[in-house]
Amino acid sequence: MLCQSCGENMANTHIKRVINGEVKEYMLCEECAKKMGYGKLWSDFSLDFDNFLGSFFTENIPHRLSYDTLRCKNCGSSFEDISNTGKVGCAKCYTVFYDQLVPSIKRIHGNTKHVGKMAANVGKEKKVENELQDLNIQLKKAIEKQEFEKAAELRDRIKELSKGAES
Amino acid sequence: MDRWYQKTGPQGDVVISTRIRFARNLNDFPFPCKLNPNKKTEVVNLVNGALGALNKDEKIRGLGLRFIDVGELSKSERISLVERHLISPKFIEKTGGRGLISSQDETVSVMINEEDHIRLQVIKEGLNFDESYPLADLIDDILDKKLSFAFDEKLGYLTQCPTNLGTGMRASVMLHLPALRESGKMAQIASSISKLGLVIRGLYGEGSEPKADLYQLSNQVTLGFSEKASIKNLEDIAMQLIMQERSARSEIVKHIEIVDLIHRSYGVLANARLVSESEFMKLISNVRLGVATGEIKNIPLDLIDSLIINVQPAMLEIREGKNLSATHREQLRADLIRQSLTTKNS
Repeated sequence: MLCQSCGENMANTHIKRVINGEVKEYMLCEECAKKMGYGKLWSDFSLDFDNFLGSFFTENIPHRLSYDTLRCKNCGSSFEDISNTGKVGCAKCYTVFYDQLVPSIKRIHGNTKHVGKMAANVGKEKKVENELQDLNIQLKKAIEKQEFEKAAELRDRIKELSKGAES
Repeated sequence: MDRWYQKTGPQGDVVISTRIRFARNLNDFPFPCKLNPNKKTEVVNLVNGALGALNKDEKIRGLGLRFIDVGELSKSERISLVERHLISPKFIEKTGGRGLISSQDETVSVMINEEDHIRLQVIKEGLNFDESYPLADLIDDILDKKLSFAFDEKLGYLTQCPTNLGTGMRASVMLHLPALRESGKMAQIASSISKLGLVIRGLYGEGSEPKADLYQLSNQVTLGFSEKASIKNLEDIAMQLIMQERSARSEIVKHIEIVDLIHRSYGVLANARLVSESEFMKLISNVRLGVATGEIKNIPLDLIDSLIINVQPAMLEIREGKNLSATHREQLRADLIRQSLTTKNS
């Protein structure tokens, strides 16, 4: 088979990539493989951005083989399934594999605590708490930017909300 | 009813459109990657069943939301939905177990069983979060009440890919930045923008010089920042880019080489009998720059913006009602461009 990139040399390198669950396979010649960052020497330093996500998960598995025993009862996914595909199987997986997923989540977002809109089935108290948190962040920013009028407005709203929460 | 891309909105000289997208999943079903065809159809039917509740709301009723069975559309019709930014290319890679809800003016779309059960999108012409966000928020509330979304107090809305956790919201602005690209500053801008939790990339094609100089600016992080904070941040940066683009434009149109390029591009588009897609995208960017800076008169911006959509390959095929050979397509494209540019110009 000829190389799929240059179409000239014989392909001798098989590349299989999984990006967000999509499997893509290429047959390349050594030269083209090297150009695309798949040379043997550089395989650990690949600057291919698409690969970032996949590695987000796999880097967090200290002992790759020992993990496949735990499975999500709801959808049957193991953590290995998730890290291989980059796809989480269902909402319950986030509870079952929380500890394994959190380091990746922190690396992607820099945070692990949601701020903002909440689903309808969440309790009212939680919603107020969440909004207060958001307002406090905005207040801090307004003060940093010396937007004092806006800060005063925010402060009033925080006061009002906190009162409502207590009563 | 006019579609969004046939109109120019706020900051329309630089901003083509504003988009809000929410990723949502139903509580009682595994994510689409773990659904068999039957379950997928069940999800499609459930979401479709919420249409009634949506159309009961007086703010939404006028939009004329309707369900479209993607599997029943022809291939060109499906691709044309991508060209009109109504759906993602990924959505039509497979057609089974998918559904689409869309409004008449195509500002609202709901992709069912793309990467998540629900991908809700609201798109508006110009820089317009003031209208797009509240509408997306309202539709989301109604759907949530009917369908009950997967949500965790710590992680927010739960999504198939952890990159969307939290708000599940991707907000973006489509910008026309010919002068900043010409100035050679885009790489530098992209790198400083990435430090602010945002990302800017070419809308069409990869690489440092996207087709038609159209860029998409969007928020990167969805966990830990509220929707409002993310939008405020995005709006602030977009405004800065708009100001920079405007000042760069006023500088470059002082040069006769650029003025020549603008009129030369117009000349080709207004007269050519065969126009390829890549040639069109290159030239229309120069013409749009000319219109926005007043160098070319009597052509409205909305005409340029709708032309960019209307001459895409599948859009041309739909217009003609059949598959086209490459040459025939280039000829039809040239005809359409000539017609639009010269009629309004006279």
